[in-house]
Amino acid sequence: MGKQMGSEKLGLFYTGRKAKKRREWRGVRDTFYDYLQWLRIWGVLIGFAAKPNNVKAFFRYRWMVNYLVVPDFFDRHTEGMRGTQLRITHTALSIVVIDMCKAMTRMFRADPNCGNDGKLRKKMVLFDENMMSEIMNGFPNLIWTSVEVPAVYTCAMMVQDGVVHYTDAAQTYGVPSDVCPMPLAELGVALEDDYPRIGACAVHCNTTCDGSLMGNSIEGQYFGIPTFELAVPIRHTYESVEPYAVEEIQNCIAFIEKHTGETFDWNAFFRSMELFNAETQNMLDWFEISRTKYPQMIGTNLALYRYCVYQATGGRYEVFRKVEQKLNRYVQWGYEQKELVCREIRHRAITWGVQSAYYTAFTVWLQNCWGVAALVDMLSLCSTRMVDTQDREQALKDLAYLYGKMIMRSRSNGGYEVGVEDLWRFCESFDVDVVIMYCHMGCKAMSGYHGLFEEEARKRGIHLIWVNHNLMKPEDGSRKDMRMEVNRYMRTVFREEPLDPSLEDFDDDRNW
Amino acid sequence: MRDLSQLYYFEKLLEEADNDLVREGAAQGLHAVGSVCSLIPEPLLNLPGCFSVRLRAPRTGSIDIGTYYMSSLLCECCRAVLERAVEGGYQFLDCIIAPDACSQMNRCVENIEHLNCIEKEGFFVSYCDAPMKSDDAALRHYVRQMRTHVLAPLQEKFGVDISDESLRRAVEQHNQICSLLQEMSAYRREENPRITGYEFAVLCTASYCCPKALLIDRLASTAEELRTREPDAGPAFRVKVVVAGSEIDDPGLIRLMEEAGARVVADRFCFGSLPERLPIALNDAEDVLTQVCRHYLQMGKCPRYMNAEKVAERQDYVHQLVQEYHADGVIYQQMKFCDYWGYERAYASKNMRERFGVPTLSIDRPYVTGNSGQLRTRFQAFVESLEIKKL
Repeated sequence: MGKQMGSEKLGLFYTGRKAKKRREWRGVRDTFYDYLQWLRIWGVLIGFAAKPNNVKAFFRYRWMVNYLVVPDFFDRHTEGMRGTQLRITHTALSIVVIDMCKAMTRMFRADPNCGNDGKLRKKMVLFDENMMSEIMNGFPNLIWTSVEVPAVYTCAMMVQDGVVHYTDAAQTYGVPSDVCPMPLAELGVALEDDYPRIGACAVHCNTTCDGSLMGNSIEGQYFGIPTFELAVPIRHTYESVEPYAVEEIQNCIAFIEKHTGETFDWNAFFRSMELFNAETQNMLDWFEISRTKYPQMIGTNLALYRYCVYQATGGRYEVFRKVEQKLNRYVQWGYEQKELVCREIRHRAITWGVQSAYYTAFTVWLQNCWGVAALVDMLSLCSTRMVDTQDREQALKDLAYLYGKMIMRSRSNGGYEVGVEDLWRFCESFDVDVVIMYCHMGCKAMSGYHGLFEEEARKRGIHLIWVNHNLMKPEDGSRKDMRMEVNRYMRTVFREEPLDPSLEDFDDDRNW
Repeated sequence: MRDLSQLYYFEKLLEEADNDLVREGAAQGLHAVGSVCSLIPEPLLNLPGCFSVRLRAPRTGSIDIGTYYMSSLLCECCRAVLERAVEGGYQFLDCIIAPDACSQMNRCVENIEHLNCIEKEGFFVSYCDAPMKSDDAALRHYVRQMRTHVLAPLQEKFGVDISDESLRRAVEQHNQICSLLQEMSAYRREENPRITGYEFAVLCTASYCCPKALLIDRLASTAEELRTREPDAGPAFRVKVVVAGSEIDDPGLIRLMEEAGARVVADRFCFGSLPERLPIALNDAEDVLTQVCRHYLQMGKCPRYMNAEKVAERQDYVHQLVQEYHADGVIYQQMKFCDYWGYERAYASKNMRERFGVPTLSIDRPYVTGNSGQLRTRFQAFVESLEIKKL
């Protein structure tokens, strides 16, 4: 028990029930910082819950109850952390939570079931969950919104079985259980009439997979508002698809203009994309530090933060510039002070495939238990091309390119080159010896490469550790099952002992 | 009914991917083009000098190797095709041209390519991006993709003539096959059809897997035979059904349905004839490639098309078939693990019952159905439920 990393036996905190035995002692300074941040998050939540529309939403929407455990979400993702890592995590994740709270507050204000603000509702454009929001940067008077993100995606992150009710609903409807649980749950929410019905119009996309596309088709009927289906080319690496990709973006802009009466504002678009480019540059700088012996912005911090700025906020909010400046200072400081992300880094890893939504803190466990630093994840490795902020024609091409490389589809679509070959390039570039291969049971696109991954990794002397999960259905592969697969590999192949033996086997099946 | 004299011959053709006609075509110096999806217009793969073979894995046993490479979570058809490729069953192919349509079949082809399953000299694989909507922008994209990733490699590698004249000849040949099959298909509208669903499925499936030029005479003589064929006096079936859904490349599944008393009168599935075997109408005002692509775009009923109009159109089309072919119900079937049809089957079968009032059986199934007792029971129960409605 103390300020040193690894001074607490973290596995002993788990009681087999929802809550842990006690909070972690991290030394006076870090514990005080952590406590203040904990209070801050409570403050944000209380501020959120104090609004009458949001209170109504708690009673109207079943999934809202999942957000009561946000503080526990932070505890899970800061487990074992000290110093700079602790600060990076709080800084990166709290801005995501704050942004979500603002978005949900707007959503419920417009929602006919809560605030019923018709004017606001007409200013909203509904995007599907997997679709990035950058097109909306040219519509500063409109509001990008995605009802699926709070209803499904982040719910499953807060509470591990948070959306199981909805996957069951979709299966009862007749959709087979072997499809990806994410579109399945999204459809389930629609079938249960649990989405706020907002938006002047909607844009659906063919990302990220066949199942997602099909789920969107059916959901489109539910919302009953004009819907544009954005068909982004699947073979997004081909030059020959560019004209169509650009045309689809133009058609999408024209659709939004038609149904909202707004005109695409190029100046606003360029301003936002400048921030977006700055965010991309920051990420590239973090990657540079991750290539050294002292990586800082890694694992879940990188992943969850990057998903937020790349897909959802997309350069529209200046507050992210300040947050990134702060993150940059932390990252630089941690690097200069040669701080490690955990007690000892034994293995440098990349996580490939889709991470489990119900166990986003898995990489934190990897660090604490086995000293495996997950430097970067597949979903964060999307486009790093800067979007032109001067030339409209080029900007459209860049935007079309960006949409081809939305999170997940940038790897799950596009073929062997981006799904398999790029992995080895990243392994070399980040100097990793281990790849945590997430085998998401419902993700056919990545599972189809299973044997090729094995063979190519063997040729290159890279250790692949397969970790099975089913994204949002923990009953198909629990958190403990995921850990067991790593434990087995570490014991039998690497013949190593855990850094913290109490974390090797503990019961968190009933945890949030 | 008297047996069709050529049926046994066609059945034998379906027992191997590398069948007699494929070997004959190769012996004539034609290039065998492997195809895996209806989104690449067939006439483009049947230009003078080459012929298309839609990949199947007849008489599949174990799919362990396919499962190793693609995991047990993927569609069995894709795993079976990969297994067959690893076994060397497609060594006759000169190339595979595949759309990146269903991600599972795309992975199957990528595995075939990267595992170097086909050792024939000069063998190549070409992938193309197929549109997911059916508007003008999608058509332009479709044409561009077909030109770049289908016609260009065929010309470059095999010296195939891709001129408009050559395309017209391929379309003409395609239309000959389609017209013959449509003529035979029309008999299924009769009160007591003179052709069974199984027989038709054998003929239609063969049309996807053999050089068309070598098949036309046999199909023509079968069509001739059918013109005077007398059906049995009393119907040898209890109900009529439309079968819709994911691909059925084994007519044995149709036979299983018919053994349970359900006469299959319309086939709205991959390897079926509706609407894939409708002739392509060409005019002289526009280039042939655009016309062919438009035909495929407008006619396509794959659930991959995501625009709302297409979603509704698919269900309307099946309902239209029920009416035109005087069917008592619909069987929506899908290959297990197929994402597209997993959703489409649930949605369409529900709408078919609730919106159109058509009794519907909704099933998922493995690739190899053989004499599946479970499926037989489902079909029998469905037939009985339809019969009860007639009382």
